[in-house]
Amino acid sequence: MPTQSSLIDLKKITKSYILGDGSTYFALNDINLKIEKGEFVAIMGPSGSGKSTLMHIIGALDTPSKGDYFFKRKNISAYSEDELAQIRNREIGFVFQAFNLLPRTTVYKNVERPLMYAKIPQNERKLRVMEALKLVDLEDKSQSLSNKISGGQIQRVAIARAIVMNPSVILADEPTGNLDMKTSHGIMRIFKSLNAKGRTIIVITHEPDIAEYSKRKIKLVDGKIVSDTKKR
Amino acid sequence: MEFKELLLQAFISLRKNLMRTLLTMLGIIIGITAVILIVSIGQGAVKFITSQLTSFGTNYFSINPGTSVVSQFAGGEKNLTREDADAIDEDPSLTNIESVVPLAAASAKVSANGESGTYLIYGVTALAQNLFKPEITSGDFITEDDELGHNRVAVIGIDVVEKFFGQGADPVGENIRIGNKPFRVIGVAKSSSTFFGGFFNNSFYLPINVVSDQILGSESLQEIDISVKNTNTINQTIDDVTALLRERHDLEKDEENDFIIQSFQDALTTVQTITNLLTVIIAAISGISLVVGGVGVMNIMLVTVTERTREIGLLKSIGAKQRDILTQFLMEAVVITIIGGIIGIILGISGALIISLLVGIPFVISIPSIVIGVLVAAGVGIVFGLYPARRAAKLQPVDAMRYE
Repeated sequence: MPTQSSLIDLKKITKSYILGDGSTYFALNDINLKIEKGEFVAIMGPSGSGKSTLMHIIGALDTPSKGDYFFKRKNISAYSEDELAQIRNREIGFVFQAFNLLPRTTVYKNVERPLMYAKIPQNERKLRVMEALKLVDLEDKSQSLSNKISGGQIQRVAIARAIVMNPSVILADEPTGNLDMKTSHGIMRIFKSLNAKGRTIIVITHEPDIAEYSKRKIKLVDGKIVSDTKKR
Repeated sequence: MEFKELLLQAFISLRKNLMRTLLTMLGIIIGITAVILIVSIGQGAVKFITSQLTSFGTNYFSINPGTSVVSQFAGGEKNLTREDADAIDEDPSLTNIESVVPLAAASAKVSANGESGTYLIYGVTALAQNLFKPEITSGDFITEDDELGHNRVAVIGIDVVEKFFGQGADPVGENIRIGNKPFRVIGVAKSSSTFFGGFFNNSFYLPINVVSDQILGSESLQEIDISVKNTNTINQTIDDVTALLRERHDLEKDEENDFIIQSFQDALTTVQTITNLLTVIIAAISGISLVVGGVGVMNIMLVTVTERTREIGLLKSIGAKQRDILTQFLMEAVVITIIGGIIGIILGISGALIISLLVGIPFVISIPSIVIGVLVAAGVGIVFGLYPARRAAKLQPVDAMRYE
């Protein structure tokens, strides 16, 4: 059982794959990690270090091979796919590097979608979508199609969608990977201000200057945490 | 998700690949069009044949010589005679009989005004007018006096007037030679029946005893048509007439009838049975097109699911449950087949309307076939869309998100 009320508590998490030659590959090897409410964490590491796998497990998109994952003190490592879907819907807001938005669909409909899966009535949906779009300064683009807006705007819509369900944590996987420097910093400033309002944010990145926005940097190499440093 | 949103989402997805969507629909469109068209034409044909048959009245039945329809047309049978007809007519126990119309038939050479040809010559009584209900466009039909007097008079079908007398001529009073004997034309008859008009309008009508004595040389009949007073007891009357004829023809108990009795009611039932059977068979064949169409839908939906794996991963990451994904893809399949079905219904009805106008049969819209068409289309969508939709729903989010 978790000893304290951490938002996220990974205990001895291992994710392994059997390779074609019969050997076992450890994408994550015996990871212990606690993240508290209100933190702004950057998970760093080179390609193949296991940071994406870690994000998938923290985001309830995948389940560990071994170990326990306590989310809000509940062990969700053995949850069914539909139970995990509910966790993702209510507790986690995702921002991905690419393929963030539904094609051929308006900005409004994209942000509205998680609310529909949660069966929230239409009147309330409208208020919450417009509120989320206001936070990322995209109210005027609500009726634009997702393929008619810029890369920076796409990421802002993704952030609006990530916060619209008011989740416990926002999980961003290389959110600035496809953006130019100026736009990247604009996006990170949005995350910083969201964190300032008390939201827990986890950003996966390999770019040090992006990680600088965080208050805690976790470095992963070969599926293990090699450093975990907090800013003063 | 709400139904309206699901529907909207399905339309957005299908519109993106408009050509592919239309091609996928094609099998369904063809299948439903064929079913609607065939059922509609089949019912139109039944209605048409029924109206034709009932124009004679369902209170008739006919007796033909021979043991089968084939021998009857071969014309070799001579065992039905004028005496048979008279015996039926005069039997006091056959109270339901209204009239007995004997019909003798022969083919003979006809010549007039230097023209000649071989034609069907019918020997009729005055009562035949009630049976065939021809329109007498000029002169009169054969009368009882013509019969009694053995008058060499002829009523001619409207289509032969032009050949012998020229276009628009009135042949009444003119002379013609039939079987090398002179006859006087007393009338021109025209039948508008599509069934019987063809040969009726191309034939000659003489008093029956004149045909028997002077052309056929025998009393044998081609047909006896009998009308009854009460249609409800027509089968009893048929049985009584059968018994009478068997007795007259000295048939033993185990011998077959040497005549055929058919009522128009029988003919009607036969026609309806055949048409319904054909409709069912052709509709079943069209059903194969629907199955093929359904497989096409399944195929394209599998392609769609593969193409949209990343999208499915994204939807799962924002909280879509398996059921949400399943209903979304199932909805797309059903929308394809229902729209295909509606297009098929419209094409089928239009086709039936055009064919009915061209062929001259009544246009019948069958509401049940439309309802069944829509339900079958939706059913095909559900059955063949289920497998691809389940496959989409079962995708693991992390696998879907990694898909390139």
